[in-house]
Amino acid sequence: MGHLNVAAVRLSIGERTLLENVDLHVVPGRLCAIVGPNGVGKTTLLRCIAGFAEPAAGAILIDGVSVGSMPRAERARAVTLIGSDAESPQGMSVREVVLTGRFARRAWWDWTTGEADHFAADAAIERVALAPLADRSFDTLSSGERQRAWLALALAQDARTILLDEPTSHLDVRHATSVAALLRSLADEGRAVLAALHDLSEAAAIADDVALLGDGRLLAFGPADDVLEPELLERAFGIAFERARVAGAWRVFPRAPIRRNFSH
Amino acid sequence: MPSRVWLLCGLALAALVALAAGLFVGGTALSPGDVARALLHPRAGGDAVAIVWSLRAPRVALAATVGAALAVAGFLLQGMLRNPLVDPFLTGVSAGAGAAIAVGVALGIAAPFLPALGFAAGLATALGVAILARRGTGIDAERLILAGVSLSALFSAIIALALTRLGRNGSEEILAWLAGSLAGRGWSELLWTSPYIVGGLLLAALAVPALNALRLGSGIARAVGVDVARANWLLLSAATLLTAAAVALSGIVGFVGLIVPHLARRIVGSDGRYALGASLLLGVTLVPLADALSRSLFPPSEIPLGVLLAFVGVPTFLYLYLRPAGATRLWGT
Repeated sequence: MGHLNVAAVRLSIGERTLLENVDLHVVPGRLCAIVGPNGVGKTTLLRCIAGFAEPAAGAILIDGVSVGSMPRAERARAVTLIGSDAESPQGMSVREVVLTGRFARRAWWDWTTGEADHFAADAAIERVALAPLADRSFDTLSSGERQRAWLALALAQDARTILLDEPTSHLDVRHATSVAALLRSLADEGRAVLAALHDLSEAAAIADDVALLGDGRLLAFGPADDVLEPELLERAFGIAFERARVAGAWRVFPRAPIRRNFSH
Repeated sequence: MPSRVWLLCGLALAALVALAAGLFVGGTALSPGDVARALLHPRAGGDAVAIVWSLRAPRVALAATVGAALAVAGFLLQGMLRNPLVDPFLTGVSAGAGAAIAVGVALGIAAPFLPALGFAAGLATALGVAILARRGTGIDAERLILAGVSLSALFSAIIALALTRLGRNGSEEILAWLAGSLAGRGWSELLWTSPYIVGGLLLAALAVPALNALRLGSGIARAVGVDVARANWLLLSAATLLTAAAVALSGIVGFVGLIVPHLARRIVGSDGRYALGASLLLGVTLVPLADALSRSLFPPSEIPLGVLLAFVGVPTFLYLYLRPAGATRLWGT
């Protein structure tokens, strides 16, 4: 459950076409990274897959059903998107934030929160290792802890497909690594995970597949090791790349990094 | 959390005390015994019964209604716009109503018709603001604030023009309305506004579960299954109905709609289900108390309700939130 199919999708903003001929599929248990330069349409693509906006052409299906035609509650079980525009509410505890993921389990006007909701929220908080902070006010968390709390919200929602927009941006290397490891384990548990990532080496380390966007289209989609190779990356980003295997995983670097002066 | 339920019970008790205080206090000296007897035997006749049942009881009920309506409207708009500085008059309701009443007074429309005129004009103004704030099927928060502020400025100019044109004849009516007052209102006004108040509160209750999710931003709200456009329209309609009814009853009573939601969230936390109830109860407590004070400080003259609330409330608020060493958070517990 959670087969995502993006078929011949075209994305437009107003008159301007952003992306054309996007074909992707993500199956449960696999993590797909979306990679590409700023402004190429990664966020717009994720928002379309989440059902927030309609693509200008093509189809987006989850388990064979078009996302745009799903009733709201059903869609919330099929897919969720943790965007980079998530706001940190003041005065709301971590548990209250995570419980919000249960919204679609009841009628939209229903005030109650059931046993199952509390159980799911607590399990999700436990899963992202935030249990000691569950009653803390959300706005006192660090960026890394917040990102883990948003993941807990997605887990409490228990959507079959989880979309994430730059989940590791702005995080220090330790927190980025722990969030990346969590993403990997969500996929290993049998969910379909699709994440827009900027760190190419991170994508190479955790992703099964990579969708490389550039030049207004999907340049490549396939196994991470095949897509994250210098020639394709240069076409997407316009600069030369090198890659090297370190401890079994590919690391991807720009070829001519800016150097400090080594002369003295 | 049972502790929050207990806090709400405490607030309900405070509201009852405030309502009772409103009945026992007034320009005419009545002993507590007289008031109690009049309450228990409404058909007994005599001065005490007349004062309690046709003067004080409607005043207390009006004050409680206005307090509840403004506090809940402020709470809903602050939550919807994710902005703690918003008050219920933002949507242009009060300025539109004020301009209509000012023009009405200038045209010589009889006083009993003015509240209904203000109500209709307030609703019409809010509708105009909502149309300007529309984007797609939803409402854009920034456009709503800009449209509300602009239309309010326009209508305030109309009020000022009417005041300068009228000179002494009739400007008192407008000024009393601008300062916020319950003088001269009674059961009949309460009766015809009550469906709008009840309707507004019902819409508010429907929108509260979505309000909690909306606080995480519209992106997360959509992702967890909230119909953001529907939730925003519900919240705006509820706040507008409540504000228009309150403005028709009392003119511009400031401070309540801005400050009470902050106090409510301080007391019970930011979960909308509790904060809505706490806002309502605090409104029912504060406005009747202030009205009792306004009637009893310098009898027989009354201090305008809005003025009194600002004099007492603003320093209290500044002390609570802006004292140098303490926590200065404007939102939440």
